[in-house]
Amino acid sequence: MRLLVIEDEPKVGQALQEGLQAEGYEITLSITGEDGFFLASNRVFDLIVLDVMLPGRDGLEVLTALRKQGVSTPVLLLTARDAVESRVAGLDAGADDYLVKPFAFSELSARIRALLRRGKTEPITLIKIGTLELDPVTRTVQREGGRVELTVREFELLEYLARNKGRVVSREMLVRDVWKEPGRATPLDNVIDVHVARLRKKLDDPFAIKLLHTVRGVGFLLSEEAP
Amino acid sequence: MITLLGKSLRSRLTILYGLLLTLALALYAGGTSVYFLHNLRQQLDLGLDRDIETVEGLLRLSSEGHLEIGSDEGEARESDFERGYLLEVFSADGFLLYRSNELEGAALGPPVHLNANHRHEPTQTIRLSNGTRIRVASRIHRVEGQSLVLRLGVSEEPLWREFWEMVGVLSIGLPIIVLLIGLAGYALAGRALLPVDLMARHAAKISAERLDARLAISNPDDELGHLGQAFNLTLGRLEGSFDQLRRFTADASHELRTPLTAIRSVGEVALQKTGDGPYYRDIIGSMLEEVNRLTRLVESLLTISRADAGQIDLHQAPVNALELVQEAATLLESLAEEKQQNVVVEGNPSITLWGDRLILRQAVINLLDNAVKYSPVGGSIRVDVCFDVDTVAIEIQDSGPGISVEHREKVFERFYRVDEARTRAEGGTGLGLSIVKWAVLVNAGSIDLVSEPGEGCTFTIRIPASKTHTLPHKSS
Repeated sequence: MRLLVIEDEPKVGQALQEGLQAEGYEITLSITGEDGFFLASNRVFDLIVLDVMLPGRDGLEVLTALRKQGVSTPVLLLTARDAVESRVAGLDAGADDYLVKPFAFSELSARIRALLRRGKTEPITLIKIGTLELDPVTRTVQREGGRVELTVREFELLEYLARNKGRVVSREMLVRDVWKEPGRATPLDNVIDVHVARLRKKLDDPFAIKLLHTVRGVGFLLSEEAP
Repeated sequence: MITLLGKSLRSRLTILYGLLLTLALALYAGGTSVYFLHNLRQQLDLGLDRDIETVEGLLRLSSEGHLEIGSDEGEARESDFERGYLLEVFSADGFLLYRSNELEGAALGPPVHLNANHRHEPTQTIRLSNGTRIRVASRIHRVEGQSLVLRLGVSEEPLWREFWEMVGVLSIGLPIIVLLIGLAGYALAGRALLPVDLMARHAAKISAERLDARLAISNPDDELGHLGQAFNLTLGRLEGSFDQLRRFTADASHELRTPLTAIRSVGEVALQKTGDGPYYRDIIGSMLEEVNRLTRLVESLLTISRADAGQIDLHQAPVNALELVQEAATLLESLAEEKQQNVVVEGNPSITLWGDRLILRQAVINLLDNAVKYSPVGGSIRVDVCFDVDTVAIEIQDSGPGISVEHREKVFERFYRVDEARTRAEGGTGLGLSIVKWAVLVNAGSIDLVSEPGEGCTFTIRIPASKTHTLPHKSS
């Protein structure tokens, strides 16, 4: 998978490049709108990560020009303007998704995966992580053959973590995707912590190998190996 | 119109007054002149009547039937009469019997026949062919059994001369009067408007830096006094909002500085030591926690600034109040469970309020979150939804330590914390209640707080009830 990242801030650009390379993507980094536009219109990428605030031609101009040229590569916008108008403007200009700075890297990578997956339906199959088996259809969870009884919310939380197994899931992602809270200002950190703690009690406490890990300052992940 | 009259209010006022004065004086002078003319005419007519009587006394028919003018008093009267009067005498069958020489053959009107339909001619003004205006009166006179018609005229020219003289005097005097009064008015307007000028100059000196200055008001009861007071009130409000802004900026900077300081010191301390992988992971995690706090703070600040600027669109609709509260309670119930707290939500399930659901939900969540946070382990929280006149009241009662009087008004202020250390440890931004207050006010509601230290707090928000929904039956 080849990704083009157009980002003028060197630290952010470099972090994105390293982080995404670690996820197995092939990254081309461009630091101006003109250069990014040139690359995007002359080479084939699977996805473009585009910063809105660029020196010279800003991100929206680049995006509009690309769409005019018939480049239909999915574009993920990064914007520091958290105003509804600018989001709407971005989507109107032909963006497929947007992220507001500052964002959690885990969220960026989840959005990228979602865009690359677009059009392909999620296989509804048993999800297995070590000795954990989760059945999305019957909404049942088993560990080492024994049934784990979960509340609805706990199951949704576990399912979300399981679908992103091996990857860190941020609190923002949980608020949006599991709790489906529209307002970003809702103080749900404590609520999430409580649910994670309860899930852990049922899922991990009886067993030697722990699956649900907390990454301090970042979020949670479901994995056989400790981070 | 305005540009035509000149730029300054002073000259505009003066010109307008001048015009009005001219109009008034012209009307007055015109009226006076007309009245004067009318009076002169009346006097003339009275004179004519007297003169006709004199003429009647002088008229004689001679024995041959000729008309003679004369008197017992002799020639003097006759010559007087001849000089001053214009006389025509007709016989009953319309023959001219006599005409004064001064008329030079001109007639004082058409010939008259004294028949049945002869009407008495009114006194009137005629013009001779040479342009002279003559006032003519006529009378039927009987001399020795014969009816005669007398017509006596007198020149109106002296009268008109007098009239035009008066008009002349008036029209010379009028502009002089207007000019004098105009000048006086200009001076007066200048004096009256001088305070406005002073005010403007003074106001221009007052800037954002010196908003504490106020205009001096000489007379608070006149219009200028009112203007000055209004201006001072505006200044006061401006000063208030500038102060608020300054305070807010200072508080916000302070709040932003706290996590930044933490990030910096954690990072610097970690670099001075040599640690292993887990140690560094922990350090980075701790820094990221602060970054998250910063992010949240910045987002709250953005929300607040957008709210201040009125950039938040309200989507007001009927909202089921009890459902709204239960939703918030469900969201936070796990927190209450952890502290073995008992949350009771009660209310009429058909109560509907009118407001923006999302914004109000935020307010209720914030209040409930506080209630859980400050109530002790095993404590209880009551939420009541009821009607209160034409509003919906949502009452949230906790069993916490309560808030003392000196903090009660301030808890709704931004960044105000009753207990600095505690709220920080809880990860609060100090903006929760100020957001609640904004959310309630923007939905045309109100919020108040009743609390006795040691008795817990009761926050009550009141939001207008929805009028589109039928009110439930009042239970007895």
